[in-house]
Amino acid sequence: MVENNEMELSEAEAEQYDRQIRLWGLESQKRLRAAKVLIIGMNGLGAEIAKNVILSGVKSVCLLDNEKLKEIDLYSQFLSPPDKIGENRAEASVQRAKALNPMVEITTETKSVDNLTDSYFTQFDVVCATGLKQEQLERINNACRDSNKKFLCGDVWGMYGYMFADLVDHEYSEEIVQHKALKRGPDDTEKTARETVSITVKRRAIYVPLQNALSVDWMNPEMRSRLRRGDPSYFVMKILLRFKDEYNRNPDPSKRKEDTAILLRMRDEIVKELSLPANFIVDALLQDVFGTVSGAAAVIGGVIGQEVVKAVSQREPPHNNMFFFNPLKCVGFVELYGQ
Amino acid sequence: MVARVAGVFNEQLTEAIANSKILVVGAGGIGCEILKNLVLTGFPSIEIIDLDTIDVSNLNRQFLFHKEHVGKSKAQVAKDSALSFNPNVNIIAHHDSVISNDYGVSYFKQFNIVMNALDNRVARNHVNRMCLAANVPLIETGTAGYAGQVELIKKGLTQCYECQPKAPQKSFPGCTIRNTPSEPIHCIVWAKHLFNQLFGEEDPDQDVSPDTADPEAAGDAGASALSAEGNTAGNVERKSTRSWAADTNYDAEKLFTKLFGDDIRYLLSMENLWKKRRPPTPLVWDNLPGKDDAPIQHSGLPDQRVWSVHECAQVFASSCSALQKDLKSRPEGDHLVWDKDERSAMDFVTACANIRAHIFNIPLKSRFEIKSMAGNIIPAIATANAIVAGLAVLRAQSILKGEIENCTSVYLRPKVNHRGQLFVPERTLTAANPKCYVCAPKPEVGLACNLKALTLKDLTSAFKEGLNMQAPDATVEGKGLVVLSSEPGETDHNNDKTLEQIGLNDGCALLVDDFLQNYEVRVRLQQEDEEKSWRLVTDADTPMPAPKEEEKSANGSNGGSSGNDPKPGPSRPKEDSESDMEIVEEDDDEPTMKPPKRRRTAMSDEVVELC
Ligand SMILES: [Zn+2]
Repeated sequence: MVENNEMELSEAEAEQYDRQIRLWGLESQKRLRAAKVLIIGMNGLGAEIAKNVILSGVKSVCLLDNEKLKEIDLYSQFLSPPDKIGENRAEASVQRAKALNPMVEITTETKSVDNLTDSYFTQFDVVCATGLKQEQLERINNACRDSNKKFLCGDVWGMYGYMFADLVDHEYSEEIVQHKALKRGPDDTEKTARETVSITVKRRAIYVPLQNALSVDWMNPEMRSRLRRGDPSYFVMKILLRFKDEYNRNPDPSKRKEDTAILLRMRDEIVKELSLPANFIVDALLQDVFGTVSGAAAVIGGVIGQEVVKAVSQREPPHNNMFFFNPLKCVGFVELYGQ
Repeated sequence: MVARVAGVFNEQLTEAIANSKILVVGAGGIGCEILKNLVLTGFPSIEIIDLDTIDVSNLNRQFLFHKEHVGKSKAQVAKDSALSFNPNVNIIAHHDSVISNDYGVSYFKQFNIVMNALDNRVARNHVNRMCLAANVPLIETGTAGYAGQVELIKKGLTQCYECQPKAPQKSFPGCTIRNTPSEPIHCIVWAKHLFNQLFGEEDPDQDVSPDTADPEAAGDAGASALSAEGNTAGNVERKSTRSWAADTNYDAEKLFTKLFGDDIRYLLSMENLWKKRRPPTPLVWDNLPGKDDAPIQHSGLPDQRVWSVHECAQVFASSCSALQKDLKSRPEGDHLVWDKDERSAMDFVTACANIRAHIFNIPLKSRFEIKSMAGNIIPAIATANAIVAGLAVLRAQSILKGEIENCTSVYLRPKVNHRGQLFVPERTLTAANPKCYVCAPKPEVGLACNLKALTLKDLTSAFKEGLNMQAPDATVEGKGLVVLSSEPGETDHNNDKTLEQIGLNDGCALLVDDFLQNYEVRVRLQQEDEEKSWRLVTDADTPMPAPKEEEKSANGSNGGSSGNDPKPGPSRPKEDSESDMEIVEEDDDEPTMKPPKRRRTAMSDEVVELC
């Protein structure tokens, strides 16, 4: 939990954050100012998350990445200038990250997550992971969970994207707007005006770890009834995580044909394993999963950025626990898995 | 870039992007994000227009701008920043208003798609018409706080931006503002009017003195006695608040005594007003509440502390003197324009609104809260802008892919709906309103007014404000007689004549057109003796008979929209509540255009009705 340090905001902070303080209040802004955030994976999505989190005015952001900047990153990764191809992606992003908001401390880590101990991750209040394999995600998630730290992860493949959140045991306040009839006097003849009153209520949300969400039993009747709602996005994520697991990379635009064949094969496997209806995961969904499309990264990065703000500020209900963006329908929705 | 890497998109889309030309209107929160996405995706040719310069309060979301850019052109800096992401893209930046002869129909025609990232209705309406005239698809975007939306507008395929009447701007009766305020906002509106009376552009509709014509005060037993007294007080008013203030050399104590003492005593003498209300309490300059209070411990932003009445009076004095000095330093005849970001102007309104609130026993507000209300600030955050801009560019890709029929409106909800949806697409495109006075094949609209009272000058402002035209020309249908010309001087000599005097009568139709917008509408004149100003009647049929009283109160005089016309709504929400979201405005800033004057939009954000 992020402590609200009682230091007042400076005039410069009040000025720069004015438009958001008017939305989420001074308390939230103070909590943000105390928060330390780790962002893993400086791909297009990582850059979008970093931008949103840095602009919100957190205390510090650490950019973690052990990969080198490639040309294809530049189609979505705007924090690294084109002339830094070949350099470490986190280090290539520092300068622009700092320029976004000089009031936020920016640091980097260039080791692979596999070479970092659990205690490394738990020094942060919130960890956001992108571009990792399922087992890496689960390991970091569990480490955070044991220390009661917030964990989010997500990915964008082409135009498709998802987010998962484990905020462990999360307390938050929610503003509820009520409408009240308003009378000016006992014999008020004017049309009765309506006054909106907002009250703040305290709530609590309990989360489950990623491994639960990813190992849902689809034979369970409650889960099978979900299939009737008909959005296959969860399975698209499963297919893409499996691809990454088996090939140690994401689908490659330059191998579009071969990789599409692999994806379709994996789709058929999953359909069989989980006894899903035939044609449930249409081919078209697996055709827009190459590279990182900037618009989609902005969309998913926007959602994850806002969830980080909610997690830190403990204000407004956070998504529990998965968000999917289905580009074919342009729909974005939240579903709870694994509870 | 991406479009040139085979395999990210299919070949057709890759090709379409490589040959596209996009116009982005607005380089604010959404505009910066759209520009980034376009440039990264590899859209090769982009123009961006914005009139604004960069302010510190933009920096929490307009991420192409940094502190060192404050005061510079948004369009230019956005271009420079975006080029650093991808120097191979061609961007043309215009530091300019989109409402200009430089951007005519042929200018718009060169683009495959126009993307709106605007913060005001006037410019949105204008771009809507330009895109209809040029037959170019328009992607319209907006956010407010956590919420937002993306909507496609295409002639012949969807509704246009003006198909559904927009909710009229919030309005308060003039007598509530001048005589019987009951909420903080009434005092804030009064304080802004006072600012204009003393330092800004004087407007007779923004009088701040007691309104003796208040219907509630009429029939008062003591009315005749009052009016004798009223005349002397009234005569002082007639002199204009400004010249009276100038005569006292803006002496704070004298101004205070008149505004918060004498005027309040005068209101008290209108006894009918206070039979069912708690009467106001006049104040005395040297004996104000809070004078001897010890300073209290305050946590929060300094602006979030509510000042005592005594402090308000001190701020009143200091801001008055600063504003007077500012006014004096300007050339003769010049005036100040109220701006929430000008310290003295904001101080003045905070102090005056709170002093008046105290007098009327209304809760006092902090400078922070009053700034929101007076400046019409819509909160804005980076994430909502990023999401809406991302969706907008994905929609642009679909259009280029030839899938325009799938580009239904998408709403970003502040919280998920009952189906767990955060981004909610409409199921189908929304068809145009066949009665729309903008996009119908033969646009037509009624104008209800009193022909004996409405002058040609008023008619011009009805066309500009009500029909959102920039330079209207009007001829009498069937006769070809030019009533109004946009050429300077041609019809100006008739400005003060009433419509009746220039030979227009009930039922007569005008053909009104705006050359720049390539827009012509047939306007039917409807005589209404009681209409004090004018009002648009958008339903082509005569309005259905409505219950008498309701019609009266609904019509009021806050025309400009036919939201009150009792008609069966053709396209109100389907089953989901999400579709009833209002079109939201993107930014907090004042409209990029100088707001139109007179009654309807006195200060661009509130409306004053005459009693
Ligand atoms: Zn229309």
